[in-house]
Amino acid sequence: MSTGHPPLAQVVMVTGKGGVGKTTVAVGLAAAAAETKGRAVVVEFGDGESGRRLLHRGLEGKIEHVVIAPQDAVARCAVPLFGSAILAKAVLGNFAFKRFLRTTPAIRELAMLECVRLVAAEHPGVRVVVDMPATGHGIAWLRVASQLREFTASGPLFDLTDRVCRELLAPQFSSIVVVTLPERLVLHETLELCQAMQKHVGLRPSRLVVNKFPVALPAQALDDARRLSAEATLPEIEPLLRALDARHSALSEADAALKDVLSGAHLAPVVLPVAQVDPTPTDVVRWLRAEGAA
Amino acid sequence: MSRESRPPARPDAGRDEDLKPKSGRRPQVIVCAGGGGVGKTTTSAAIALALAWQGKRTLVITVDPARRLADAMETPIGSEPKRVPLPATVTGELWALMPDPSVAMRTFIEHLFKDEPEAKARLLKNRIFLVMEEAVAGVHELVSVMLVVRAVSEIALDCVVVDTAPSRYALDLVSYPGRLASLLEGRAVAWFGSLAQRASGEDDGGGGGGMLAWGRRRVEGALGRALGARVITDVADLFGELARVRVRFAHLARQAEDLVLGEATKFVLVAAPSGAAGADLHYLARKLEKLERRATAVVLNRADVAAPAWVAALSGHVAATPALIAAIRQLEDERAARTRAADAMAAELRQKLPTLRQLRLPTIAAEHPAAIVNALATELSSQLAAFGV
Repeated sequence: MSTGHPPLAQVVMVTGKGGVGKTTVAVGLAAAAAETKGRAVVVEFGDGESGRRLLHRGLEGKIEHVVIAPQDAVARCAVPLFGSAILAKAVLGNFAFKRFLRTTPAIRELAMLECVRLVAAEHPGVRVVVDMPATGHGIAWLRVASQLREFTASGPLFDLTDRVCRELLAPQFSSIVVVTLPERLVLHETLELCQAMQKHVGLRPSRLVVNKFPVALPAQALDDARRLSAEATLPEIEPLLRALDARHSALSEADAALKDVLSGAHLAPVVLPVAQVDPTPTDVVRWLRAEGAA
Repeated sequence: MSRESRPPARPDAGRDEDLKPKSGRRPQVIVCAGGGGVGKTTTSAAIALALAWQGKRTLVITVDPARRLADAMETPIGSEPKRVPLPATVTGELWALMPDPSVAMRTFIEHLFKDEPEAKARLLKNRIFLVMEEAVAGVHELVSVMLVVRAVSEIALDCVVVDTAPSRYALDLVSYPGRLASLLEGRAVAWFGSLAQRASGEDDGGGGGGMLAWGRRRVEGALGRALGARVITDVADLFGELARVRVRFAHLARQAEDLVLGEATKFVLVAAPSGAAGADLHYLARKLEKLERRATAVVLNRADVAAPAWVAALSGHVAATPALIAAIRQLEDERAARTRAADAMAAELRQKLPTLRQLRLPTIAAEHPAAIVNALATELSSQLAAFGV
């Protein structure tokens, strides 16, 4: 249907708040890339549970699932940073540094980004879709690299942050896909996030996916129910009328929210429908293709 | 500014008085946790409302940056609890607290450094602080819990319902204060504070010999080389400033931990029938186990048990138009899919977490968030015992 969605780079970072369907969209984008090119990678942080749940449905051979545990990411980056595996182990095992790490997620997040860069470098020409963690601190995640680079100026930490900035957090290497919901408050927050991302990280989101859009019911049904309710001969019509009314309002509110909030945005939204139970990656690929957004 | 020009730190400066509960006893705390999009905020508000209906003076706090509770309660965001108007027949009270995450860190620093204005000014210019300011994920949670500690001392509360962040990291809210305290209580702050001199070799760490000192010097040297002199100096300065308020900071963290992780705290998991919510549920249950706590109940939202009575009454009725019949069928297909998913989830939970009480709540067909909160509170008011309150 709609064209005009910009092409996606090798690395696609799927971000958004908790519960919007990031993993579903990430796996859908990877499945679409795998259909076209034969292969794709999904990167997930943490225990890998979310991706595994969706990826077992006949996609194992085509999509490689890379799970990065935060502590492993730090350990992997520490070796080049400190010059040797023994020194890295000594620093990470240091009583004070260990406590510092446990209270400062920024360090782990920088390490996880470096790991994404390495995964992309190990898979030239293959689409790498990153299911970013749900965080309350928005783009801080992506800003840490450039902020640290700015004031280290030289040395191994500068080299690491510089690599992450130049070879990962740049439009020619990474695209950002922001997943959101058709609710006013959530959409406003999403737009703020997009603007901050462009301003502070220099990345302009390539897709704005509005997920879980309400599904319409037969148009005539609401009028029919209202008429029956007015006749007052069928008391059972009332709960149905409430359900129809709620759905109708949800739909018009979602439509209006999209129109009002996104009218000034540079991105046309990619709208995906709500599913009562988890959609399969095949469903998501079909929806994304219909929107020209795969 | 050079290190030498500063006044010496008074290590005990700023130890706060303990904030005592106004009611004279600790309120019953209920922490609601669950993945995103499961209706956790609405459920928390409904539990709080049901408790108020029972005559309890209840506070509900949300750390969800989406501010949906604010919407549902029609209450503004701020650092002060606001009373939610209820009908005069209700004997209890409902208070809502919705701290603004964007000012959390500054609020916190203001409080922490209230007796140390110069240290505060230096901290706010520290480059490491400026990098970390937005990225220290736990600070908003910590500030939120601290605001609850304060609210408990100002309002004679019977119950506090805590709505956590909409993610798997929700329980950071309860574990972060303790982690922070363990950074601040030990020698780590002093070690970082004097790192600059030692990493540059100005000081050999007290002249001590032996393997331990050698190993420590090696770590210091490695950090110095990897991070560079500028970063090390800023990290050391940052911890130098923190050392001045270390005691107050750690005390606050422990008080916050005590409130949310106290032995009487009840944990309620919230889920909806989707695979993602189910996975989050088991993840959170494991996390609680690691904290040596156990959830008392799980609320399954949108988990309709069976077809509503009006489906049968209307489907075969002569007055039902084709459009109405099609609408009923579509609504019923959706409902049946949710019921199947909820049944499967409930069965899995019974098997894996047999002690967990299950509360199934139906889908609420209403437009306004406040109407949904009301309907859920009605469903919950006869079942509050399941939460252990």
